[in-house]
Amino acid sequence: MSPLFVFQLRRVARNRQFLFFTVLLPALFTVFFTRVFAGTAGGAGPERAAATMVSMMAYGAVGAALGATVRLSFDRASGWLRQLRVTPVPQTSVVAVDVAVGMLLTLPPLVVVALTGRFLNGVHLAPGQWAGLIGVLWLGSAVFVALGLLLGWALEEKAAGGAIGIVGTVLAALGGLWVPVELFPGGLRAMAHGLPSYWYAETGRAAAAGELPPVLAVGALVGFTAVFAALAVLVARRRPLTAVAG
Amino acid sequence: MPLDALDTTGLTVRHGDVLAVDDLDLRIGRGETVALLGPNGAGKSTTVSAVLGLLRPAAGSVRVLGRAPADAVRAGCVGAMLQHGGLPGEARVGEVLHLVRRSYADPWPLGDLVATAGIGGLLGRDVDALSGGQRQRVLLALALAGQPPLLLLDEPTSAMDVEGRRAFWTTMRDLAARGTTVVFATHHLEEADAVADRVVVMAGGRVVADGPSAGLRSAVAGRTVRFSAPDGVTFDRVPGVTGASRLGGTVALATADVEATLRGLLADGVPLDDLEVRGASLEDAVLALVGGGR
Repeated sequence: MSPLFVFQLRRVARNRQFLFFTVLLPALFTVFFTRVFAGTAGGAGPERAAATMVSMMAYGAVGAALGATVRLSFDRASGWLRQLRVTPVPQTSVVAVDVAVGMLLTLPPLVVVALTGRFLNGVHLAPGQWAGLIGVLWLGSAVFVALGLLLGWALEEKAAGGAIGIVGTVLAALGGLWVPVELFPGGLRAMAHGLPSYWYAETGRAAAAGELPPVLAVGALVGFTAVFAALAVLVARRRPLTAVAG
Repeated sequence: MPLDALDTTGLTVRHGDVLAVDDLDLRIGRGETVALLGPNGAGKSTTVSAVLGLLRPAAGSVRVLGRAPADAVRAGCVGAMLQHGGLPGEARVGEVLHLVRRSYADPWPLGDLVATAGIGGLLGRDVDALSGGQRQRVLLALALAGQPPLLLLDEPTSAMDVEGRRAFWTTMRDLAARGTTVVFATHHLEEADAVADRVVVMAGGRVVADGPSAGLRSAVAGRTVRFSAPDGVTFDRVPGVTGASRLGGTVALATADVEATLRGLLADGVPLDDLEVRGASLEDAVLALVGGGR
């Protein structure tokens, strides 16, 4: 493993807030929402519990992917990226490492929430389904890694920090991760279909049901990833990482 | 043939519409200790940034030990303290130092590096808990981590107290004595004078003077005598005076010989209310040098 990768990973791991919001909170929500639905008319059947778990896996992974990659903005603001630029550490590996760290850090929420679903909420899936679920959501998190890089690259430190909270909340709430889209009124439901988080959760729900992810959902995720990545490259061309401000 | 540590030819850098560095030719040989001196906006930082490949010149070329800037940085030939460089949050000093040392093929042995930069006892410290002066010393350690033959320092002592500055420049003199080429940008005349064996004065993106520091000192040896005087009185004929100016009720006389000037004034019975005598400022020096060059 590259020394820069280890270095970056250690820095994020030291951030308790990050661990709380991306791992602990989704796990708590998984238990909480399942209990809430248990009190409603339809009750909380095993399907409901599984759907809640998948949504919370997605929620945690979105937060982790965005939170890990937006840090690019902080490192630029502090002048660290400029300092790193005058050492032999290649510039390309700085970005590559941030992508790798972002991808890796989506795994803890996925695994912890899955364990919560399995052992606290009694969600039963075949081993292949578990593997498929985690695998699909892990690969799909690339779209949010790309979005986080874009935001980190484009925004100033403070704006980036705020944007991550807002974007994460919008993606979760309007994408149907907190409240299922089926309960949305028509207009909001249409809006959900315009968000990557909705399609991301769709692939997870399919995998949990032992099905292949729908082509439409996969296509949407690939499309969003390509757009975010292309925009990030555009911003990067206009504004090098070593620029301090402006 | 030994290569120059630094060689710029026709270097021109624009920031938008502003010409920050204007057709700069600068050669610095190996082992020299050179101060880039000048007021804010003179183009010092821009020059340092261009030499490090942090910005792209509009025209001209830069060679660092015979290489293009980016190649020289990657080869570990250059260490730098940047004006807007910084340290990462949520990290310990030792981790940052380890990371940077690892990137060089032949890093400075850790114990000696820590002692030289004066950061003993800081390795386990959180970067966010460092004082301004400690931060600068850690940045110095990063600049030295690869034992670079060329050291570029952009206003390195701006966050240091007097004692910190003194220790810092002692370290720089030791490095220079070991053969390291040290190039530093500063707007402190005293620093340039005390440390550099060659001073390059910049103004408006150009070199306005370039020579041994002793030469610069004699060029700005003049002093200014100020006092309050009523309108209509002139002092051009007072001994030693090389120039006179007036701002409201205050007269400022530039003089090459303070004692002769004061004696002359007293002999003429001039009341020296609010008398003030001071050395030429850097601005005066730069102005004098620009004037002298024309």
